[in-house]
Amino acid sequence: MADGGDILVARNLEKSFGSGDARVHVLRGLDLTVQRGEFLAVMGPSGCGKSTLLHVLGLVTPPDAGTIHLDGRPVPRRGGELDRMRRAHIGLVFQRFNLISVLSAADNVEISLRVRGMGHRADGRVEQLFEQMGVSHVMRRKPGAMSIGEQQRVAVVRAIAHNPDIVLADEPTGNLDSANAARLLELLTDLNRRQHQTTVMITHDAEAAGYADRIVHMKDGRLL
Amino acid sequence: MGYLPLANILHHKLRSALSALGIGIGICMLVTLSGLSRGSLSEVADRWESVDADLIVMPRGWGENASDKSGSALPDRYAAKILANHGDIVRSVVPVFTWPIKLAGQDQMAIGVDASSWGALSGGRGLAAGRLSDPDGRFAAWLTAKLLAFPADHGEILELAEADLSDPSHNGLELVIDTRLAKAGGYKLGQTVRAANHDWRIVGIVSSGVMARVFMPRRTAQFLFGNGDVTKSTLMFVKLAAGADVGPAARAIGATTGQDVVPLSRYRGMLVEKFGIMFTYVDAVNVTALIIAFLFIMVTLYTMVLQRTREIAILKSSGASDFFLLRQVLAESMLLTAAGMAVGVAMSFLAAWLIETLRPLLTVTITWYWIAVSAVVALVGAVAAALYPAWRATRVDVVEALTLE
Repeated sequence: MADGGDILVARNLEKSFGSGDARVHVLRGLDLTVQRGEFLAVMGPSGCGKSTLLHVLGLVTPPDAGTIHLDGRPVPRRGGELDRMRRAHIGLVFQRFNLISVLSAADNVEISLRVRGMGHRADGRVEQLFEQMGVSHVMRRKPGAMSIGEQQRVAVVRAIAHNPDIVLADEPTGNLDSANAARLLELLTDLNRRQHQTTVMITHDAEAAGYADRIVHMKDGRLL
Repeated sequence: MGYLPLANILHHKLRSALSALGIGIGICMLVTLSGLSRGSLSEVADRWESVDADLIVMPRGWGENASDKSGSALPDRYAAKILANHGDIVRSVVPVFTWPIKLAGQDQMAIGVDASSWGALSGGRGLAAGRLSDPDGRFAAWLTAKLLAFPADHGEILELAEADLSDPSHNGLELVIDTRLAKAGGYKLGQTVRAANHDWRIVGIVSSGVMARVFMPRRTAQFLFGNGDVTKSTLMFVKLAAGADVGPAARAIGATTGQDVVPLSRYRGMLVEKFGIMFTYVDAVNVTALIIAFLFIMVTLYTMVLQRTREIAILKSSGASDFFLLRQVLAESMLLTAAGMAVGVAMSFLAAWLIETLRPLLTVTITWYWIAVSAVVALVGAVAAALYPAWRATRVDVVEALTLE
């Protein structure tokens, strides 16, 4: 639920891949504003540029043109400040979870915190999040010993453990069965409602999008 | 807390074990071969330095080759001449005759020494068992009498039958050996052994650490190995009087005899000079082994980076800096190297024990110096081997790695 103020403002985003005749324009002057505390779903058909938009908004790859403001500050194209903003403000959830297979669930979360210079959190927040996501029983397990539903919920814990301003989720239910998908979406909704966690979810599933406060549709690199 | 480099090493157990083993073999070669080559030479030098003497008189020009020279070389009369001319600074002169003989399957530099000089030559050590060879000089006296009775102007050599040489009343074919040779050859006191075409009786055993592993009567050595000429020895050890300066004394005795006179302490350096090329060879082999070990690590780490592009991309998507990624790869390399070091040092001690058990006459001296050298080489190698894979890790394209899922 939006509670005022823009947390993310993207203007005139352009992104293309390849060169010459093979050049593909994926984002074509896209504008998007996300309000603080909002749960936004971006829907669109395959190949419309949803994932590229998420990577650009997640500061993983820079746009060819356009600007992004995060919490009122302009995002640079590259350099240490870009890394710092990504570490501080963004949490990412992927379709295929992307947990590090050699680490336990707890260690996956902890290394994510360590990358962000936060180290071990002794305040019990991580344990609380595992509890909240219903995966405290798998904290010491490696991904290979978890169900896919558990893996995705651990990935959500990892994405929010550092209190990001915005969580970007790329087809988070894409690999889950309907029961696990529903459970994950309820958890994301709960996070948004109770903790005002701003969330942008990419999906092509109308049912999943139905959990969001607002749905925007994307086609050919633009929002409709 | 799960430490990612350690977790990766533990997860890929076989690959990690092989990498550590590869490094361990390189480290083991460095430590063991250095310990073997330098240890064996050092052990010989230690033994020579145990002689209670200050100077060695040797034929002019032998230089660093003195260590493997033997046979008739210096007239025995030099001993008397040195004492006569330098009685004020010289306390004793001990002539010895050296000759290689084969015992326990290996060439041993046997030392012909008079029983009266044993105290100086052994540095005051007594025998562990038995007695000295020809302890009261009966063989020397018997042989001298024989030679005096032999007309020497025919250019012929006195021929003596084995039975004459080993006659119990004046047995000249007697040996004293050290404990290591006794162990290596399984020799016992009173046993007869065949060497240099003669049967010798072992009459004494001395603790190892004395100048040589085999001693025999000097007259025997001179007669058998010096073409019957009992007037020449190989070297002479000179003990100086208390307070005499070694340098001036060496020059004075050199001037008197016309031969090379070097401090006993110089012998170690002569050995090192003589076998310097061997160290170069051994070190070259070691360096090659280490380079192969680190190429192995580099390939391992490089493969690891290629296999884990998604893991690296996940870290980068979380905001991991290049330095963070570099540190992960370096840490993994360091951990593998540390494990390899531990394996290598353990293998070195095992190899030293095996070598000394199977070949008791060899000495492997494992020193902390060479362990430290190998540690430094290993750590530098670990960093060098990790640099390229680490750089590749920082270049992983996050979008490409994550979208190719």
